[in-house]
Amino acid sequence: MTWHVAEEDLCAYARGDLAPPLLWSADTHLTACAECRARLAGVSDPVAVTDGWERLDAELDAPRRGLCEGLLVRCGVTDHSARLLAATPVLRRSWLLAVTFVLAMTVLMVRVADSPGLFLALAPLLPLAGVAVSYGPVLDPTYEMAVVAPMHGFRLLMLRTCAVLGAGLVLNGLATLALPGYGLRALAWLLPALALTATGLALTPRLGPVLAPALVGVAWTTLLLIAQATTEGTPAPFTAPGQLGAAVVAAAAGWLLVRLRDRFDTTPAHAPFTGFTHGSAV
Amino acid sequence: MTVTVSATGLTLRYGGTRALDDVSLTLGTGVTGLLGPNGAGKTTLLRVLATAVPADRGSFTVLGHDPGSAAGRQELRRRLGYLPQNPGFHPDFSAFEFVDYVAILKEMTDRGARHREVRRVLEAVDLSDVRGRRMKRLSGGMRQRVALAAALVGDPGFLVLDEPTVGLDPEQRVRFRELIAQAGEGRTVLLSTHQTEDVAMLCQRVVVLAGGRVRFEGTPAELTARAAGRVWSSAERDPGARAGWRTGTGMFRNVGDPPEGADLLEPTLEDGYLLTLGDGEREAVA
Repeated sequence: MTWHVAEEDLCAYARGDLAPPLLWSADTHLTACAECRARLAGVSDPVAVTDGWERLDAELDAPRRGLCEGLLVRCGVTDHSARLLAATPVLRRSWLLAVTFVLAMTVLMVRVADSPGLFLALAPLLPLAGVAVSYGPVLDPTYEMAVVAPMHGFRLLMLRTCAVLGAGLVLNGLATLALPGYGLRALAWLLPALALTATGLALTPRLGPVLAPALVGVAWTTLLLIAQATTEGTPAPFTAPGQLGAAVVAAAAGWLLVRLRDRFDTTPAHAPFTGFTHGSAV
Repeated sequence: MTVTVSATGLTLRYGGTRALDDVSLTLGTGVTGLLGPNGAGKTTLLRVLATAVPADRGSFTVLGHDPGSAAGRQELRRRLGYLPQNPGFHPDFSAFEFVDYVAILKEMTDRGARHREVRRVLEAVDLSDVRGRRMKRLSGGMRQRVALAAALVGDPGFLVLDEPTVGLDPEQRVRFRELIAQAGEGRTVLLSTHQTEDVAMLCQRVVVLAGGRVRFEGTPAELTARAAGRVWSSAERDPGARAGWRTGTGMFRNVGDPPEGADLLEPTLEDGYLLTLGDGEREAVA
């Protein structure tokens, strides 16, 4: 051994006060250094030593984090939040690849047609769909266990929403960078994306996690078709007043969502398309 | 019996059907079996008691906590272990990671303490050796045991198990019975099952549910006693019997009101259960 745990750190370790990363370093060193173990025994009571060994044992037994989970922890997310996020269905590679493919094809079509309309129409729908499939009985295999857990359902929903929105907005942002010729106009999807996602979530307790985002998606498409048919040039949702309207809708839906947060605490027994059909429920 | 779970007038409709119809029951420490044919409302009752869905009417308390308020529901959930009928898994999680995930949902945020708890429950269900294996690579029986381990995280006082032995081979079922019997020591376990033998071997009390209503509540011995003097043997199926089937001896076992001079047999729990159900409900069991 070329080094030993400092006396001060050893005392803190014995008291259970030593914080990571010094704690991990001391844990690892103590497994291999008989001299430090003997010193530790001298400065601590037997119960504390046993606790320390149990902690070390549990730490060594813990599985390696997956790619996504490890990345989140490196970005400063707590380990328990990272595990909750890693279980978000939509964070799976297949979903991210599908969204990337859709965006790449859309960018290609925009370049060919020399109009950003298709991209601006599609980009807000992707985060809406992503959030819709990240929570709820339809696509979350552990939904039933999560809904009866003491962790508040709204907290889990918000964690996942942030993760999905973060991933979705980054991908949309990258696609926007691939359309430099349209300037800030190519960013006009951002506020509608937030408005649609917040509205979809706010309607979920009433309509269920499938119908609510589906209706919001249909409403958005209808609005765009009407705007396209009735106005020349840039469709209304992507003009300055349209963007202001989207911001207002996002804020109002966000307020409503917070007001309805307790409704995410149970599965609505009568909401349509909750994934529990009458037959399977009884 | 010290009452730990008490429900009064629980009613829940799905469309035009009453899945639960004025269900009242009390449970105490130990294992209580919930028997009933398909569509009896067993899963609905378990989901209501586990606070997964709210009832339309009625109320209940678990270990003194009323889920009618957000705070009461939260306290109840802190004391609840729930194994749903079809427990879902994240296939890429290992057994350890999955149970760890459930432990986080149960508010265990301290990594060291949580991992110790995960190891404890995996050891309790005898799965320590495969804790690193992906869920998708585990057998059906092992997955059920992982789900039971997840339900046991945090040493809950009320354990709700929805048909945990379905799909298990006889050896796995025996293993599972041992685990449930251990789990029932010092806590309240409500076990939904189709298998009367599970109830006979495991349960201190039994509740029979049919058509969304409680048809019987008592001990397995009391349910068996309902069939005393109402089970008889005959060479052919007795047309007057409510139910009858040929046994391995070649003779028919009949359940119902025996004719005079019938060769009476010792009743079983299953006989008592069949006599508790109505005609249509018995067909659902068959």
